[in-house]
Amino acid sequence: MLATDLEKASDNMMDGSVTIKLPVAEQARLNRERADTYHRYHIDAMETEDRQKFPRRFNVKVGKFGLAKLLFTEFFKYFGHWDVVFSRPCTYGVFSGPVGGFSPRPDLCVGCLRCEVQHPDFVKVTHNPELAAIGDSYLTSKHISTIDEEARKGTVPVRGQGYRGRFGGPGFDQMFTDMSEIVRPSRDGIHGRELIGTSVDLGSKPMSLKFDSNGGLLDAPKMLTIQVPFIYAPPPDSVSTGIVPEILAEAAGTVDTLVFLPENTVTNQGLASPNVVPMIAPGQMGNIESHGNGTRMVEMTSWNLDAWNQVKEHPLLISVQLPLAGDWMSTMMEMVDNGVSIIHLISDHHGESDDGRFIMDLYQEAHFALIEKGCRDEVTLIGTGGIAGADHLPKSIITGMDAVGLDHPLLIAMQARLLGDTKTRGAAGVKLPSKFDQEWAVQRILNLSCSWRDQLLEILGAMGVREVRRLRGETGRAMWCGHLEAEAFGDIEGFPGGEH
Amino acid sequence: MAKEWPKPSPKLLEKTHHLMHDGFHQRAFPDTAYDLPEALGDARWTDELIASAWYMAETGECPDHLNYKTGRSGGGFDKLEFKELPADQQLPADAEVDITLELNRRGDDRHKRTIDVPWYGGGMSYGSVSVNVMMSRALNAKKWNTLMSTGEGGYPPQLYECADHVITQVATGYFGVEEKSIQAAPIVEFKYAQGAKPGLGGHLLATKAGEEVAKMRGSVPFVSLFSPFPFHSTYSVEDHMKHLDWIKTVNPTAMMSVKVSTPHDVDMVAVGSYYAGAHIVHLDGGFGGTGAAPEIAKKNIAMPIELAIPKVHKFMQTEGIRDNVTIIASGGVRTADDIAKAIALGADGCVLGTSDLVAMGCTRCSNCEGGPSGRGCPWGLTTTDAELQEWVQQAWGADRLDKYYTALANRLKQILRELGLSSVGELRGRTDLLRYIAGGE
Repeated sequence: MLATDLEKASDNMMDGSVTIKLPVAEQARLNRERADTYHRYHIDAMETEDRQKFPRRFNVKVGKFGLAKLLFTEFFKYFGHWDVVFSRPCTYGVFSGPVGGFSPRPDLCVGCLRCEVQHPDFVKVTHNPELAAIGDSYLTSKHISTIDEEARKGTVPVRGQGYRGRFGGPGFDQMFTDMSEIVRPSRDGIHGRELIGTSVDLGSKPMSLKFDSNGGLLDAPKMLTIQVPFIYAPPPDSVSTGIVPEILAEAAGTVDTLVFLPENTVTNQGLASPNVVPMIAPGQMGNIESHGNGTRMVEMTSWNLDAWNQVKEHPLLISVQLPLAGDWMSTMMEMVDNGVSIIHLISDHHGESDDGRFIMDLYQEAHFALIEKGCRDEVTLIGTGGIAGADHLPKSIITGMDAVGLDHPLLIAMQARLLGDTKTRGAAGVKLPSKFDQEWAVQRILNLSCSWRDQLLEILGAMGVREVRRLRGETGRAMWCGHLEAEAFGDIEGFPGGEH
Repeated sequence: MAKEWPKPSPKLLEKTHHLMHDGFHQRAFPDTAYDLPEALGDARWTDELIASAWYMAETGECPDHLNYKTGRSGGGFDKLEFKELPADQQLPADAEVDITLELNRRGDDRHKRTIDVPWYGGGMSYGSVSVNVMMSRALNAKKWNTLMSTGEGGYPPQLYECADHVITQVATGYFGVEEKSIQAAPIVEFKYAQGAKPGLGGHLLATKAGEEVAKMRGSVPFVSLFSPFPFHSTYSVEDHMKHLDWIKTVNPTAMMSVKVSTPHDVDMVAVGSYYAGAHIVHLDGGFGGTGAAPEIAKKNIAMPIELAIPKVHKFMQTEGIRDNVTIIASGGVRTADDIAKAIALGADGCVLGTSDLVAMGCTRCSNCEGGPSGRGCPWGLTTTDAELQEWVQQAWGADRLDKYYTALANRLKQILRELGLSSVGELRGRTDLLRYIAGGE
């Protein structure tokens, strides 16, 4: 029997239609070949340089007179020892330009300060105020420079030395994530052969399956799966049409996640695809029929019972936006009572509700309210707003979200500058780099997505959690700084609320 | 393959040493014309803490002109202070104070060891640092009758001259583990996890894994070396016990230390380690140093050491085993005041890592993993680059550490006297002597 025949026969065996028994060795070879064609989910990252200069970290000032004096002195002192005469205090090349320290290259400075410590009389290294000025009080210059690095390299930022920041802090900094000393998601490490799943399902999981008299499945669940627990949220109004939506749509397709875009943009720019979610106003929900080309899901931009009742039986998945404002909890329960299976919680860009509460508290309230109601698995919660760093993803999921929306970080990845009101949703002005093209921007977003997914794997790996779905609402995996401090310091005099 | 740089000429060595050493002096002393570098320091290690360490490493004394006690992290050790007792309850300035620490409390027939100060040097592997740095630490440990750990990267032959003061570490990658180095060790340390990257194993980037480093680790040069987490043969306390039994068989007299990070159940882990046979439970908190760690791991995974110590101390008290085991704390212990606070929270002693490096000139620029140059630390600390590693000479490094430890020891004794305590053992768990500084950061 020819090998090709064997393969066909073996293939047929897989669906049970043929009963040829293959020699063991041949079968093993075919199994190996099949295994070789298996492709584990992966986002292709590729180093993609900045298109506009990112503010450097440090400024380096060299006193020319002091330098000239040093060189003059050393020339005679070490005459003939040219390795000494031409030695530089910098291993990063700041003083290795054509005229050395007379024209330093501060872009290369990493702040080791060896030059300044060695030559305090004429070298000064300072933090670059231009870098400190970018961002706002929430999406800080530290976040922005980290996102820029992640979008450039597509890797997990790795550095030496320990943590440099504050002890705890507000917002997401209140939480430390747990780890396990011995439990691992896979026995060969988080980047080994075995898979840590990052896919999540959107839609309602049925609590039981029903079959007809022939064994056929009745009421097949309306769900879709995305490969990462984050979606791309709509860009601000100022760039909600044009090239930015096209970039997001292409990146979402490559990553196999979803991008939420205004319906008009989707229609006018011909962006309909399985990875694009048109956002439709309640009054326009009748348009749902017009969305084709593989569209799997649409979003109703606000809750409206009448509009919902018109479309709730439609075969497309329908999510409904719910701003974290006013009595949002009652609205959420009304939505659930009326069969909404995907609720998209929206905060401002600082992760706050209209009354200034932070999303980690609000997400837990939403999650536990659905558990209390006994329907948590029948509802998908997506949370958008306030995500500024990779650690915010797992922390949002731990507090109860199934998936998380990325907004401003996507623009930062494209080296956009955010202008004006950066807190109110959709309000920021956006200045894109002058040298800008779709291919470059898509790769930057893929790099950011890859980096953040890999960092999610690090967190999951440390916890010993094998799939991100199991992390949802696992508040037992969270350690709250305030709680730990109360436990550790509660008996110490002066501790707020302590025994003393 | 990374470029191999030549060793520096004697003249270059002389010039560089002079400039570096003079630079540390110029920045740390009050009688010079220069301020602290504007870009030096961060919330945990402030510019004043770094300069204090340089001052102490040169003089053996604490500086009057710098805050050498606390950082600006706004929590943990930086929010704790010792109460000021009335003068008549304090000990006189010349009173003898015992700061020695007995490490074997199990009462078994294994090695007994009392170290002269309640701290020792934490693991920094060959590869993450140079032999010169390892030897500086080992020579100082010998002088102070304390210890230092090899980290996971093998046992450079030079270390054998200080073998009685060197802890051999066995970690998840088993890099450089040999019977000879286990048999030479007074203490063998099993590293389950590391505070700076809990649950993520170890990582030496390719640029730092040069010929000698790779040879020591049984690998090929310039390939990234991952020490995969966890021990793949350990699922339970019983499995862990088998590990310790294995080492106890290889070295019938060594004490066993188990290094773990600080998860939610760190108290249970510590008790499990004790019942598996550990003499020392070494807790490494989330703010610890590292040669290379994912940024997301620092701070976000596991809890700070200040919060883990009381948890473990109290649980072991409840279990009735607290006096049978030595708890050592690390991961963000920077100063003598931190050491005293850690002990007051319930530890027996501490491990120092980053502070040793700062004393030898580290500015905490975070390029230990190689940095853009790929050569490692420009100060010659966390590098095996042939040129750069020469910036730290063994005698100079050991002398800096000797003076630094002198200053730490004197400050610790001063704290004890001010608290009216004649031994460091009396301070353990005395949270009643601490005060929490409420309010702004």
